[in-house]
Parts: sequence; structure tokens; C-alpha cells
Amino acid sequence: MSSFRRALRSKLSLFSSISTSISHPIATTRPLSSLLPYSQNASFCSRPRQNNKEGSTIDLNQYPSDNIRNFSIIAHVDHGKSTLADRLLELTGTIRKGHGQPQYLDKLQVERERGITVKAQTATMFHRHKFLGSDTNFLLNLIDTPGHVDFSYEVSRSLAACQGALLVVDAAQGVQAQTVANFYLAFESNLAIIPVINKIDQPTADPDRVKAQLKSMFDLDPSDALLTSAKTGHGLEQVLPAVIDRIPPPPGRSTSPLRMLLLDSYYDEYKGVICHVAIVDGALHKGDKICSAATGQSYEVSDVGIMHPELVTTGILLAGQVGYIVSGMRSTKEARVGDTLHHTRTVIHPLPGFKPAKHMVFSGLYPADGSDFEALNHAIERLTCNDASVSVTKESSTALGLGFRCGFLGLLHMDVFHQRLEQEHGAHVISTVPTVPYIFEYSNGSKLQVQNPAALPSNPKYQLVACREPTVIATIIIPSDYVGPVITLCAERRGEQLEYSFIDSQRAFMKYRMPLREIVVDFYNELKSITSGYASFDYEDSEYQASDLVKLDILLNGQPVDAMATIVHKSKALRVGRELVEKLKKFIDRQMFEIIIQAAIGSKVIARETLSAMRKNVLAKCYGGDVTRKRKLLEKQKEGKKRMKRVGSVDIPQEAFHELLKVS
Amino acid sequence: MLRSMLTSMLTVFPSKIKTRNYSNTIIIAITNSPQPVRRNASTEYMLLQQQHNPTSAYVHLPFCRKRCHYCDFPIVALGLSSPHGDEDEDEDDPRIVNYIDYLCREIKATSVPSNYNKSPMETVFFGGGTPSLVPPRLVSLVLETLDAKFGVCTDAEISIEMDPGTFDVEKLKDLMNLGVNRVSLGVQAFQEELLKSCGRAHGVREIHEAIDIVGSCGVENWSVDLISSLPHQKSHMWEESLSLTIQAKPTHVSVYDLQVEQDTKFGSLYTAGEFPLPCENQSADFYRMASEMLRDAGYEHYEISSYCKSGYQCKHNYTYWINKPFYAFGLGSASYLNGLRFSRPRKLKDYKDYVQNLENGLVNCFQDSKVDAQDIAMDVVMLSLRTARGLDMKSFGKAFGSSTILSVCEVYKPHIESGHVVCLDEQRREIAAEEFSSLLSEGNKINEVLAYIRLSDPDGFLLSNELISLAFNVLAP
Repeated sequence: MSSFRRALRSKLSLFSSISTSISHPIATTRPLSSLLPYSQNASFCSRPRQNNKEGSTIDLNQYPSDNIRNFSIIAHVDHGKSTLADRLLELTGTIRKGHGQPQYLDKLQVERERGITVKAQTATMFHRHKFLGSDTNFLLNLIDTPGHVDFSYEVSRSLAACQGALLVVDAAQGVQAQTVANFYLAFESNLAIIPVINKIDQPTADPDRVKAQLKSMFDLDPSDALLTSAKTGHGLEQVLPAVIDRIPPPPGRSTSPLRMLLLDSYYDEYKGVICHVAIVDGALHKGDKICSAATGQSYEVSDVGIMHPELVTTGILLAGQVGYIVSGMRSTKEARVGDTLHHTRTVIHPLPGFKPAKHMVFSGLYPADGSDFEALNHAIERLTCNDASVSVTKESSTALGLGFRCGFLGLLHMDVFHQRLEQEHGAHVISTVPTVPYIFEYSNGSKLQVQNPAALPSNPKYQLVACREPTVIATIIIPSDYVGPVITLCAERRGEQLEYSFIDSQRAFMKYRMPLREIVVDFYNELKSITSGYASFDYEDSEYQASDLVKLDILLNGQPVDAMATIVHKSKALRVGRELVEKLKKFIDRQMFEIIIQAAIGSKVIARETLSAMRKNVLAKCYGGDVTRKRKLLEKQKEGKKRMKRVGSVDIPQEAFHELLKVS
Repeated sequence: MLRSMLTSMLTVFPSKIKTRNYSNTIIIAITNSPQPVRRNASTEYMLLQQQHNPTSAYVHLPFCRKRCHYCDFPIVALGLSSPHGDEDEDEDDPRIVNYIDYLCREIKATSVPSNYNKSPMETVFFGGGTPSLVPPRLVSLVLETLDAKFGVCTDAEISIEMDPGTFDVEKLKDLMNLGVNRVSLGVQAFQEELLKSCGRAHGVREIHEAIDIVGSCGVENWSVDLISSLPHQKSHMWEESLSLTIQAKPTHVSVYDLQVEQDTKFGSLYTAGEFPLPCENQSADFYRMASEMLRDAGYEHYEISSYCKSGYQCKHNYTYWINKPFYAFGLGSASYLNGLRFSRPRKLKDYKDYVQNLENGLVNCFQDSKVDAQDIAMDVVMLSLRTARGLDMKSFGKAFGSSTILSVCEVYKPHIESGHVVCLDEQRREIAAEEFSSLLSEGNKINEVLAYIRLSDPDGFLLSNELISLAFNVLAP
């Protein structure tokens, strides 16, 4: 039973980093079968804890905002953020030591490959601390953040509810690209930053070098740094006192009218939409009528409480506190992240909202088997219920049939989405080559924002006057031995160097402006492979830049394959065209007729391969005893054909589409 | 007669008949969803099919001296120690004697399915294995048992597979005296190195001896079996094998393109199309060469891998290709009765248990599982497109509906234009591609004119898998 639950959990809890480390009492009291169909609904900590010892004793009135600290932990991947969070929860008795799976997320494939926490998660802890001369009870909200830049909108959302952050740095690896990116996010949000040098138990730990890096990169005082090992427990006792002493309490006023910030939402099978909120001003009670500043819609609060880390009903939330509310929203779409909620019939000044999600990478998603459109539609609907940051519009392709054009925050986001579709919803999808939102301007003054290369006319009516593409500012930190090859790689990817310095004697720090398109497909893998895995990389969105772009069509026996069209920089068209055509030749099987595979810009063919006709496909013998077997073989062949996508008379195997994704 | 057949159909396909007569809901379901094959028409076809009483029997004699490297048949390897095995009548291999005992018990315990009339056998085929390793005395026992059970026509075609080096004049004479009148000689290749590399238990000398024996015994109807695309086989070797075969003047030639089967020695050593096996193009050339040389020598290419002098088609094998019912006996053999294919166990021990159970009335090899019209349609297409006669569109249309005919025509249209598929009218005159197109565009016109569809020789035959699976797509989308 418990191993089954664990397996189940690995599927359902991709998005809940803290709660995964907790042995969960509810999963045992609820029939397992009821969990299964909705297991993808993110967090499973969705019901008030039953038989809760503390549940009835938690009185939030004892915690005025002076006794509250809201903070988050930010770190580069694998620097020990999740383990540190586990330890703090254990230290405060929020979870019991040795229960649950430590750092469960890091075991997921997508985690290992890219390293991320995707969704912010909050946990409330209670801690007694000598403060200003007297023992005082504190309420601490740990707001965990995703580490990856794709989810920086999640990060900024979480940071908005915090007044401070623990900046965790691996004592051996030192400052890495995400350390830099996350530091600046926190810095720009005016957070108090507590540097934590973690993993000091490692033989290669060099805390002094890291202190020097923190000083030179971020101007952080070396004497402020805490030295810890979340693994051995060393130095952990200093962490919470530092949080209380160095991070200011939330600034809100309890006497002002209620204003709360909607941090996040997810859908729960039993309770409906559950919103995570931060009370900025005022107080919220169960039964209150609240109203959304964005939509004007009003709701009645049927349940309110804290994440401890499971949902614990408290009946109230006061200024400076962070918790959850259940208010009868029917869909997470009503819960606009960044929205300000207030009491009905009060007039308030809405809080500054969050940055809305910006879709940087688009790709077409099609059912691998054309007849599965409804199933895919259903799966996508279910998944977007908990990940509203994906944009979805229907589209159709002559080669692939009906499908969806999806917009993602970034590559990782796209990968996670694909993986969840396949793993949690059993959807088999063909994804088209990811593209970025280009802007094409024509002589008649019209502008075309292109999310799907197929939608760009190959021979436009009006003359093209300008094309622009989105860029990113990439941060790369590498051991200095690898500077040469990395500079070469960035130049190949049309990068423009903005900064080149050394963090210390062994590590180089580089900033590049790069076209987003160039890092969309395989940049990170390439970077890792030329630096033996030592490079760290992060990026943030930057402006659009003018660029010489062309649409590259792929034709099979003269017929364009819409789903294979791509937009590339002119200087790369020839190489990409050749590569695509060669790949296709390899992955399309010989058929009964010759197939000409071409890559073309407009009407100009730039690459061409010929796949000769199949010569022989015959089963020699077929006697009495063979009939059944032979027929099975032929039926298999037929099924194989059915799975293929057809353009004109050419059958294209699904692998061909998958392989094209790998061409940059 | 028809009535009795219908009643017997009822016992075999009760659900189907009920569907037609009583269950409106199911009929609605069928008419609402597009049905590529008219299911309720199939009964008619079944009737047509089952009007043929089974008059063919396949008898499996699994013994070989050793297993050839390409073979995945159910065989029993005896070892090389007893080359002729039967020189001394008293020293019959007990394994063979024991097997023949079970085989005869199986024949005796088999009942004629109730919807068939008992008809004497018109063809009997002893396949293997190496049937020529079985002493004629024991073959005689099998034939007697068959005769006692079903009767064997006096002019029945009785074939036996024989391997060079496993028989002499006396043995063949003995067999002929039992009524065996067709010999299928397993030559495979005329090159010592090729025979060796595929693990044959004989050499080239034995081949020539065997051909002489067959000639001197006056066997009128005999076949040479060859395999193309063997490892290291070169074009000149294949040409030599074909010309030596033609010189030997058999009435029939079977040409098999090597299939590399998974659980064989070849399967573990080689990958089809890769060295030392000939590449796809070369192996296609071998096929063309056989087709051309044998046709030039006066052989008809009457089935994908079969050639014969006029009038010497293998009647037994033809029952397979026209989807007629047949009996089968022995290890791993497959029978086709009442529209059901039934395979016997491939392991000797399991087979013996099976015979035991059969005798105890615990097995029925034409029971339960229902026959699906779609399955029959696919079998008919797959088998008849192997033959030069091709698919009889008139009777196929009658059984499965003219809309099925139209969709088959539609899917074959480009391949008629490319010459892989040939359309023939009632007089077997070819309907040209343009004419076919215009007839097809007029819908029903094509049904009036079109009588046969066949695959062209050699191009269509060479791509038969592709072409047949295209038709499967229409029949069972």
C-alpha cells in the first residue's frame, strides 16, 4: 500500500515541493480509488487535517504582524534548497523527521535533466525565539519558489509576499547562473537577503571562496553568511534566528480594510478552487463576502486557514499572514494570480499586480493518432486547470489534423507540460518544432505576430519591410578552462557578448544577448556537453531585435508539409535546410514510389534529397500453416501505416516529427 | 441441403444469425457506423465457402537430421547418425514409430465437422521436417489410416517433401507404390558453400543423385525447391541454381526468398538486407531473375513463389490460396475448417497430450471463437492476390458488397497507373489504367466490367506486402 501510494505520489506531486516530503495522513483515510482520476490536481494536501492536535489550538490572533516573518529560499538547482526547507520544517515540528520522501522532486526525470521546482508552495511554521529580550512565539511563512527562469513570474509572485530571502549557495560549486538570476529578482523586490553557504560538509567545500564571490558579485557582507549543512544539520540552528532578526515583519496594517493578494490557485476535487493568498492589510474571517478587484465577481469564504503544511482551518487570517481560502470559485481561471481580493462593499486601492505570464515558446501539439483529438483536448483542459500559464488555441494542420497551438513561458515549461500530458494523462502527442513569437512587418503597414511558422505566407502579397525576433539576456558561469568553446558556441548562436568577467580565479561569468530562437532547441545540452557539464546557464527575456529571417518550407514530392515549416535566420537557412532534409531521408521509409524531399525558401529550393522507391516487400512462402502468421504480419504492417501521417501520398512516421525537433 | 447447412451454420455461428434476425439495436449500430465490409453479407460467402467439403489433408512429418539455420518450423532433429534410417526394416527409429502412432491416433480421433459431408481426399501433402526420413512402411500406415477415416481418391495428388541424401531408388519406388505421385525436392541451392552456410545436411553431389533417382523412378510430377537471398549468395550463383534447375526439367519450381526468422541461427547472426545477406535491391533482382528465366523456360509463374509447367500446379497448395477448407494432422500443423484456423501444439510432448485429449473428447478444433466477415475478407484478399489468377472481384463483391469493391479500386488506382496492380475483365483482358480511371469515376460501371485484380509479375508480386496491407486498410480501417 505505502509503496503504491508513493508511486502515485510521484505522479501527482510534481508541483508541490514541500508537501512531498511529508508523510500524509489524509491519503490513508481517503479511498485510494477516489484519488486516482484526479491525481494530477497538483497538491494532495487539500483537506483539513483530521484529528489534528494543533488544529483547534492555533489562534492566529496571537500573531500580530510584528511576530510574523515571510521569507523564501532561493538557490541554483541542487544547491540544497529542498533539503534545507525539509530541515526547517522538521526543526519547527511542522513535519516529523524521517517521514516522507526527502527531495522527492529531484528524483523525477525532468528534475534530473533540468532541475526545477515549478510551482510555488507555502508552509507555515511556528517558532519560539528570544526576541528583544523576551521569549516570543513567531509565525514563519516559508514561501518556496521555483528555481528556473521559465517560472520567474512564479518567483516574482512568491517574492511579492516576502520580506526576505535565504540565498542558498553550494559551498563547493559557488555562485551559479541561477544564483545570479534569483539574487537580482530578490534584490529588485527589496528583500532582506541572508546568504546561506550550504553543504559545508563536502570535502571540496570552500566557504571562503564563496564568501568572496558573494562579496564581489552581490556586495554581500561575508560576515553575514551562515554556514550550514542541511545534510548533517550543522549550523541549522542559526537559520531561523537570522530570519527573525534580519528580516523585517510584513508592513501591512491590521486596521485597514482587507486587501489580499492572490498568489496561486489550484483545483481540488472535493473543495473546488483553492487559492493561496497573502493578507496585506486587514483581516479575513470565514463567512466573509469578498470581491475580486479584477473581475468584480464576489464570493463567500467558506473555509480559511493556513498550510501547516497541509491545509489547517483557522477561521481567520490576519494582516501579514499567508494562507488559503476556499470561496466557491468554479475554475482556476476565475482566480487570477496577482489579483487583489477585498471585502465587498469596501473601496480599496488595488495592490500592484504581478507580471502577467509572457509566452515565449510556442509549439503545435497534435494527437499521435489523429482520432485521439478529443482525448488530447480533455487532457489539455485538465492540465491547464492547474497550470493557467499555458496558452492554448486550436489549430489544424494538413499533415497532423486537428491539434493545439500552445504558448509556454519557456522551454522547460514546455517540457514539463509535455511530460505531464504523457505521464499523467497518457496522451501521446506529436509536437512540432518549437518556435518563438516573431514579428513580421509588411509594406502596407500590417504587422504579423507569428506563433506558427505555417501561418506565415511563403510568398507574401506585400513586401516584407522588417522582421523582428525576441532576444534574451543569457547568464553563463563556467570554469575558466571552457571560455574558448563557449564563446565559439555563443557566436554560432548569433550571441552578442555584453559582459565577460571572472568571479574568482577559476570561474568566468559571461552575459550575452541572444536570439531566443537560438536557445530554444538544444543550446543548454550543447553547452553542457562542451563544458563537461560544468556550465551553469540562465536567461531572462529581453527586447525584440531586427533580424534577417526567412521561412523554410519542407516539401515532399512538391507538397509543403505545414507542420514542418520553420522560421530561421537567413545565414542558417542552408545548414538547417540540409540537416532537415537529411533527417527526413533517414526517417521516412522507402515507399512504392520515389520521394523527393526538399527544403525551400519561397520558391527557391535550397536542399534536396531523393528517397528511391522500395524494391521488395514480399513474404515468400504462404502455406496452410503460415496463413495466420503471415496475416498478422501484414496487419501489423497495416497498423504501422495507420500510425503514419500522410502528406499527399507520402507516409511520414511519427519519429520523423520527433527527430526534426532535434535540428536547431 | 441448403437447409441442413443453415442449421449447421446456426450451431456454429449462433450469435451472428441472431444478430441478423432478432436484435434491432445491433443492426442499427452496424448501419450507423461505416462498415467497410458488409458483415451480414458474409454468411452468404461463408455458405459459398463451406459448400466445399474439405478434400485436402496436410500431414506433418517433423523429423530432420539436423535443423537448418533458417528454419523455425516445428521439427524433431534426429542427429546425423542415421543417414537413411530405414536400410534395415527392423531398425526403425523408435521416435519415428512412436510419433506415427500418435499421428494415426489423431487422424482416427478427428471427426468430420457436422456441416460437411464426408468426402474422400483429393490431395494429401506430407510436409516436414524431412518426410523422406520416415520409412515407407510408416508412411503407408498414415495413408491407410487416412483412407479408412475419410477415403482417399484413386487419382488423389499425394505429395511428399524429400531431401537429397535421405532416399534411394528403392525408397522412392516403395513410396510410389503406396500412391505417392508428387515429389517436392528440397534442393535450396546448387553451391556447396551456400548449402554449408545454411546448415543443410546434404551437398551438391547428393542433389544430382537425388535428381537422377527421381528421373529413374519415373516420377512425372515433381518440384525443385530453391531459396534466394542466402548469405553470401551472388548473382552468378543464383543464375547457376536456376539454370541447373531448368536443366533438370522438373514440372514445378518453388522459389523462396529467404525470411530471416527471429529464433533461428540466421536470426541471431544476420539482419535482412545487410551483409552478408544481399541488400534489398539485389534480392529484388534475384526475384526478377527467377521470374524471367523460369518464364523463358516455359514455366508459368502461378503464385508469388511457385512456378510450373502447364497443368502441373500443386493442387494441394492451391486449396490454401483459394481459401478452401483442409484438414491437418501432426505436430504444429494448422487446419482450416468451418472458417477457423487451428494450430496444433509445436512441442512433441504437448502434441501428444493434445492427441490424448482429442481421443477423450476434450478438444474440438473448430469450436467457440467466432468467425468474422472482416477476417474472411482479409484472408481471401491476402491469399488470392498471391496468385496469378488474382482476386475474383465478382464473387468478392457478391460477398462483401460493391462498396467494398469500389474502395479497393480507389486505393489501388495509383498502383494500377504505376503498373503494380493489373485489372482484368471477364475474358482476362487487361483494363488499361485510363480506362479503369474513367470506369471508376462512373461509379458502378467498374463493377460491370472488372472481373479480376491481380498483382503484376514481377513488380507487383515483389511489393505484395505493401499492396495487400493497403487493401487491409480498406477492409479493416
